[in-house]
Amino acid sequence: MEAAEAVRTDSTAGRQDLEGKYLTFALGKEEYGIGILKVREIIGLMEITAVPHTPVYIKGVINLRGRVIPVLDLRLKFGMASEEYTERTCVIVVEVQGESGAIQVGMLVDSVSEVLNITGQEIEAPPAFGGNTDTTYILGMAKIKGEVKILLDVDQVIGAGELARFEAM
Amino acid sequence: MAAGGRALSDYLDDMALKILMVEPGDLSVVGELLEFTEQLLAALSGEGGAAQPALSRMARDFNAALEKIIMGELADSAENFDRLGQCIAQMQEVTRKEGEVDEAALRLFAENLAAVGYQVAADTPPEPVAEPATAGGAPFVPPEPAAAAPTLDFLQDKDLLGGFVAESFEHLESIEVNILDLEQNPDDRDIINNIFRTFHTIKGVSGFLNLKKINELAHITENLLDDVRNGKRDMDSGVIDVVLSVGDYLREMVQNVKDVLERGGDAFVEFDIGQYVEMVRQVQAGRSVGPVAAAPAAEAEIPVAATSPAAPVIKDEAAAAPPLPAAPAVPPGGGGRAGGALPQAARKGGIGDSIKVDVEKLDSLVNAVGELVIMQSLVRQNPLVARLADPKLNRDFSQLGRITTELQRTAMAMRMVPIRQTFQKMTRLVRDLSKKTGKVVDLIMVGEETEIDRNMVDSIYDPLVHMIRNSVDHGVQAPAEREKKGKPGTGNVFLRAYQKGGAIVIEIEDDGDGLQTAKIRKKAMERGLISEGDALSDHEVQNLIFLPGFSTADKITDVSGRGVGMDVVKKAVEKLRGKVEVSSQAGKGSLFTIRLPLTLAIIDGIIVRIGSERYIIPTIAIQESIRPEKKDYSTVHGKGEALMIRNKLVPIVRLYELFDVAPTYTDPCEALVVVVENEGVQRALMVDELLGKQEVVIKSLGGYLKDTKGVAGGTILGDGRVGLILDLAGLLATGDSREAAPAEEAEIF
Repeated sequence: MEAAEAVRTDSTAGRQDLEGKYLTFALGKEEYGIGILKVREIIGLMEITAVPHTPVYIKGVINLRGRVIPVLDLRLKFGMASEEYTERTCVIVVEVQGESGAIQVGMLVDSVSEVLNITGQEIEAPPAFGGNTDTTYILGMAKIKGEVKILLDVDQVIGAGELARFEAM
Repeated sequence: MAAGGRALSDYLDDMALKILMVEPGDLSVVGELLEFTEQLLAALSGEGGAAQPALSRMARDFNAALEKIIMGELADSAENFDRLGQCIAQMQEVTRKEGEVDEAALRLFAENLAAVGYQVAADTPPEPVAEPATAGGAPFVPPEPAAAAPTLDFLQDKDLLGGFVAESFEHLESIEVNILDLEQNPDDRDIINNIFRTFHTIKGVSGFLNLKKINELAHITENLLDDVRNGKRDMDSGVIDVVLSVGDYLREMVQNVKDVLERGGDAFVEFDIGQYVEMVRQVQAGRSVGPVAAAPAAEAEIPVAATSPAAPVIKDEAAAAPPLPAAPAVPPGGGGRAGGALPQAARKGGIGDSIKVDVEKLDSLVNAVGELVIMQSLVRQNPLVARLADPKLNRDFSQLGRITTELQRTAMAMRMVPIRQTFQKMTRLVRDLSKKTGKVVDLIMVGEETEIDRNMVDSIYDPLVHMIRNSVDHGVQAPAEREKKGKPGTGNVFLRAYQKGGAIVIEIEDDGDGLQTAKIRKKAMERGLISEGDALSDHEVQNLIFLPGFSTADKITDVSGRGVGMDVVKKAVEKLRGKVEVSSQAGKGSLFTIRLPLTLAIIDGIIVRIGSERYIIPTIAIQESIRPEKKDYSTVHGKGEALMIRNKLVPIVRLYELFDVAPTYTDPCEALVVVVENEGVQRALMVDELLGKQEVVIKSLGGYLKDTKGVAGGTILGDGRVGLILDLAGLLATGDSREAAPAEEAEIF
């Protein structure tokens, strides 16, 4: 969260604060990364119980070793077309600070790629796309060997900010 | 004696070890040392003390010197601690000689303490502690530095403060419980000592945390109690009142410390303890026989009345006190009187050692165990394993099953706590209420050891308060009226708890006038709840009081709220998946019975299938399930659907529409309906199939989804998938909003 704010308030500053290990994954042709410290575990796709009266990107809940946690489909969340789930589809379980302590949420992604060590120099501030492209969720863009990875701010995607938006619906 | 001697030397060894750890400026270790010293004192006040008069005196002096260091009256220098260390050595010396007076050691001891700055009185009076303590009261009058500079200089060690806050709340609660006990047994020195020690601890800890006002208030109260303890002053209602109100005020102050900790310095409130200090002083001076009584007693009472709102209470109580001594004859042999001598003794002996465990750890244990049970059944049902027809494996499996079941039961039991604490809060409530209403009421508690789910404790408190208020305010009559009816002037309110079958039962009974059935009937008719022709039994009529907005009280009193009726109680109890009812006999009293499930963690439910999804409907709400026939089915305005069930028209709720799933059947006559009832509203829920009845463990859906309408939570089903538990209250409300209130339409028919 703090890192995210730092980026947004001062886009010319170095990205040293964002340096670190990221878990990268694919959504369609795009590669994304999330801070490894937020990741609890990666599990294969399991049966999801749908919960009524929830936004479309919330696929439902799963049983994570006795705990019931919500799962959201990142494709739908980012307004991308949904795809059939394959055997490469996985759920990345992340933990963020909610209002009443830590909450775990699963994120459905097309496939998990690798864990990358990304240096400060490789990270740039998210470009202003203008118009209707929302960059609230983006910490920065990492350029590695000619490829661009979008570094996500998990707290924004599923954390308190999102919760507030969700409740406002 | 040998055993006692060894125990005493053990304490001293502890102290000797501890003083080596003390560093100047680190008062928390001094605090721990003080605790050991107090343990030694406690041991000495037992039978060991009589044989060791010299040691008792030394320990008391040592304790007092230590306190002065904590208060900052004496320097906490390394030299002083060295000398105190020598003092401990001399005390050990005296202990080893087993009561034989060792003049040399005593002299050295006195010299050492003198070097520290604490003067041991040559002819030590019987209670030397009292002297320095009361004398020490004087420097506490001007704690102006705190007022002059309201900088939050106590905010230095947040961990310590957090611990202090938590402990103080516990201490204050125990003070309240103890002091109320004391009211019943004014001569029980153990209780006085308990209260004294608790104030003492608060004083000590707040002292070194630099919470000056809390420290001061605790200090003067401790002094007052010390006088009581030493027989300088009688234990009477004046003392009890003042200690109770000081306790309340201290709680506010501690709460403020907590607020400051949580929200930062802005939350800080400057407390004015002046009037409380004055109050305690007056009570202490009021009837004290010692030289402390500066002001004549008669004069003392008046300024109190002028300055403090609590003062009239003291007088009231003094007036109300005489009837009390007569009361002990009233309680019947069976019922333990509120904190009477017997329960007190049982309480002390009955509770084993316990440890505090983080709630989160406990919850994760319960989760893990639940998981274990499910995994075990998954392994067992694995087709490969099931095919291995090995007798040994089967035996082992059933053994494993027994162990996991036992484990689960134990884990569940850990979440249970005795209802005692909740009950004990009622003692205070009844006391305050009876004063306010001018009635004399005894609260008699039975079954305080009954255990209920920890999560239920808070939720049951409010309804209980409401009902107790009701019983005291409306149930029990004023003494004069009671005597006119040939009852003893003292009214009784019974509070009972016990386990019956799979439920916890809480009863509140009063021996007042009972419900006036005729009046309720009349009122219900006025409100159109029943009609002239309805043949209702008295019992049914009485239970009408749980309907919203129903109150027969002639006058609204300050005590029982304004028109808030018993429906609030009913709602709160139903939220806990419990039931409440009343039975009453005119002129004899009323009995309110609350039935609660044993635990909130487990729910008894019917698993139903709709399409590919499974849902759990709480059994408590289910009336019946039927396959409807065509002739019973009808539509209203072509939209609302209803079924004629037992001559009542019940609206149909198509769950698959609400939940947006593809059902197997869309025709109600092919599907099944489950008739449910919630707060008097009936609905027929359409489902595809009933899969069975099961006890399921309720799990929250997490912060994200917890407010989802119509869903109370989730549970892990036997195959490891998540099933959703229906929340009928939410569900029926959703149904109403979607279908333009079919409830009203149904009633037209």
